[in-house]
Amino acid sequence: MILPASIISALHGPRALPLRAVEKVMDVERLGAMHQSRLSFMRSLVRRIMRECWQIEIDKLALDQQGYGTVIYRIKTPNRVYSLVIFSEFLADEDRNDRVIASKWDLTMALVDGEVDDDYLQMLRENVPKQEAGRVDARVFVLSRANRSMRNFDYIVDKLAGGEQPEISKLSAVGYLYRTTAVYGSGKLGMADWEKVSSCFVDFNRPFSAEMFVCLMLRNFSLLQVEHIAKHRSAQSYRPMHVEIKRFIGIGNSTGLGMAPYLINHPLLINRWVEMRELALARIRVLGVVNPRLQQHLLMLIERAKTYTEQTVTEDERQTGNNQNLLADLTKLAQHIQQDFSGWDSLLGWSELHCSLQGQEMLVSLMLELYPELVDELENYLVVDDLLDLDPLMPLKELQAIIQQRYAWALSYDFSSPQALQHFWYRSQEKMEPRLGQASFEPGEDRQMPLGIAYEVRKCFDLVTSHLQRDPQQSTAHFVLAQPQLRGILRRVQSMNKSVYGDIQVNLLDENVLPMHLLRCKLAFFGVGKFDPKSKLWVRNTMFQGAPLLDEIGQPFNDDWFMPLAPASPQVVEA
Amino acid sequence: MMHISMIELKAALRRCFEASGYFVGNYEDAADMIVWLEKHGLQGLAEFKSMLPYLCQDQDKPLSTIVYEDSGAIVIDSHNRSSLNCIAAAVDVAYLKAQQAGIATVTVRNCHNRRFVLKAITDCGRRGVSVAAYWQNGKNKVTEYTASIKAGHRYPNYSEALTDLSYSDQQQQSLTIICSARVDLQPSLKKGSAVGEILYSSAQKIAENKQHSVEQGIEISTDLWGEINRIGEGVLVESTDQSRRGAG
Repeated sequence: MILPASIISALHGPRALPLRAVEKVMDVERLGAMHQSRLSFMRSLVRRIMRECWQIEIDKLALDQQGYGTVIYRIKTPNRVYSLVIFSEFLADEDRNDRVIASKWDLTMALVDGEVDDDYLQMLRENVPKQEAGRVDARVFVLSRANRSMRNFDYIVDKLAGGEQPEISKLSAVGYLYRTTAVYGSGKLGMADWEKVSSCFVDFNRPFSAEMFVCLMLRNFSLLQVEHIAKHRSAQSYRPMHVEIKRFIGIGNSTGLGMAPYLINHPLLINRWVEMRELALARIRVLGVVNPRLQQHLLMLIERAKTYTEQTVTEDERQTGNNQNLLADLTKLAQHIQQDFSGWDSLLGWSELHCSLQGQEMLVSLMLELYPELVDELENYLVVDDLLDLDPLMPLKELQAIIQQRYAWALSYDFSSPQALQHFWYRSQEKMEPRLGQASFEPGEDRQMPLGIAYEVRKCFDLVTSHLQRDPQQSTAHFVLAQPQLRGILRRVQSMNKSVYGDIQVNLLDENVLPMHLLRCKLAFFGVGKFDPKSKLWVRNTMFQGAPLLDEIGQPFNDDWFMPLAPASPQVVEA
Repeated sequence: MMHISMIELKAALRRCFEASGYFVGNYEDAADMIVWLEKHGLQGLAEFKSMLPYLCQDQDKPLSTIVYEDSGAIVIDSHNRSSLNCIAAAVDVAYLKAQQAGIATVTVRNCHNRRFVLKAITDCGRRGVSVAAYWQNGKNKVTEYTASIKAGHRYPNYSEALTDLSYSDQQQQSLTIICSARVDLQPSLKKGSAVGEILYSSAQKIAENKQHSVEQGIEISTDLWGEINRIGEGVLVESTDQSRRGAG
């Protein structure tokens, strides 16, 4: 997508706004401290649904008393009609597995263009439950699957069937009924390519919008299903779930290493996402009016963020430490604002001196929350053609200077040290699952994925330098003709010179690499919360907690579901 | 036949070329070229299928070398490599020379699967340079081909015709590329030497083919799809208890 002149001039040139330095923003630890914001894809999707009043109705409800069967939702947007087809099947506990290598799930579903007739439904029924082992056509544009939360699902059914409401404390610990274990889009398994989705299904033409929509619908189906089962179990005593509790139930998600290669392999897209977020921040620093009403709003949001963080449950030691630091930061931040708040620049500067990275990035999300008029329109520019072009004209001397300037971080690593090359990333024979190997004792280094950008840049720089000693006038075109093995990294370096937020500044081959930072960064762009790392390689989290319910489409909407808090206990709600 | 998406084809081809010894950068180019041709109705998969028996041989051949060069011309010997791993770099040099000299000629010798130059010249057109390419193929019956794109355009024109020309050693596996930053090049095959119809795909027709592929995806023979994926398995690492500990 081409940016309008107003945004280009805010990013580059004499009228550019003060964007934060690349070295600061793209540091991997800071990226791993990002939080959801107004620009997160879930927020953006829900805004569109609510503002355009999408009509989402059940077209077919064929569930048995246990909640197994088929459901079709009909989604009518201003542009088109779509169908979400859900298959719910019995799954034995021993078959329930969240890993990508699983082959059976509680729920499988497909988002489809248009209405679904019997023949098409039959085709979907034969393929969708198989997921990777099935095939679909270009009418389908998202395939997903989900497993029940063993801790919550039966418990909530029992409660509702008995006429009671679930304990809020249980929902604070696990805020969902289902966990998605994969959400496939963009051409996987025969589905419509992104090129079709973005041009024909314009309601979903923002990044991961269709995938997020399926997760939102899964959340709504999960609420329907528990009530359906509870009602059939005991129609006499059954009571529906309170709306406030429903709203607090989101969708669980398990995310593993697959997101890390995505972030490295799509630098133009990452650049655009970060660039728009940084532009939003820069707009606020320059244009954001500060007044007592806004200061009160900020203090209210800080208090909410504190409570939200207190309600986040994790057994991970590092995440627990991060959450505690964040709580301390938020307390200090509130005190500072009450004593001395004169403007955003000074507050950001203060946070960099007194808060952890978690706290600093939370402040950024809070600032974005306060200025929808400066932030929200940037959601329209989060898509970009992911095309890295080689510039054959560029003199090799200029290329060398670019590497020295833009990739000083990469050149700073000592690759003669074995520790710097201790890890390698590869695809396993098991469903091509991305994995992280130890170079010193695991096979497969010869088949590693080229994710060690820093190392590739170092090797490229050394060859460029040695070539220049022989021929100082050489062009990139001639150099790459002689050194075709550098074509990929040369193209990246040249492209990233114009897209400076595209490279995550980390050596992914280092013995101390923490992939969790990359996972967290992408998940923050998605808009998830309640990060609960289960190792340094995968994380559980919660999506769409606090989002409006389907029944609330068309009702007043203030887009204020940032950092959703647990509702009061059921007794208080009833009172 | 089976239905696949373009991104599936691209990802499978990348693995296939990576497993066959293509460099990073080259394997993306190679996959892009095939998908681009197929997407635009220009028989990318058929051409790829014809080179499959030779796929792994290129890693043992010398890299492209410059035979001759002056300010407006260059002759490159590709040492019987597939254009999939060398033509993009040759077109890059053509682009450079056209920018510097106004018009440039690149002759690539000993290069196979030259149809894939269509993608490379289209990239040049997108970057504001006009390109024309010409090549011949066949010993008993010579077919000649030409493709061109105007500066700033998105789609090329393409023609091919069976001819009564006699076989020439010099023309075999040779490709001529003319590139200009100042003139729009639009070659057309002469009817005089053509035997039968000249097959012509206009830029408009190629654009229509693309739209069809975007909406419907791509059809591929099940055998070819299986073969692409089988070769691509070469990049996968066996799963062990230890490797499962490195899974997320």
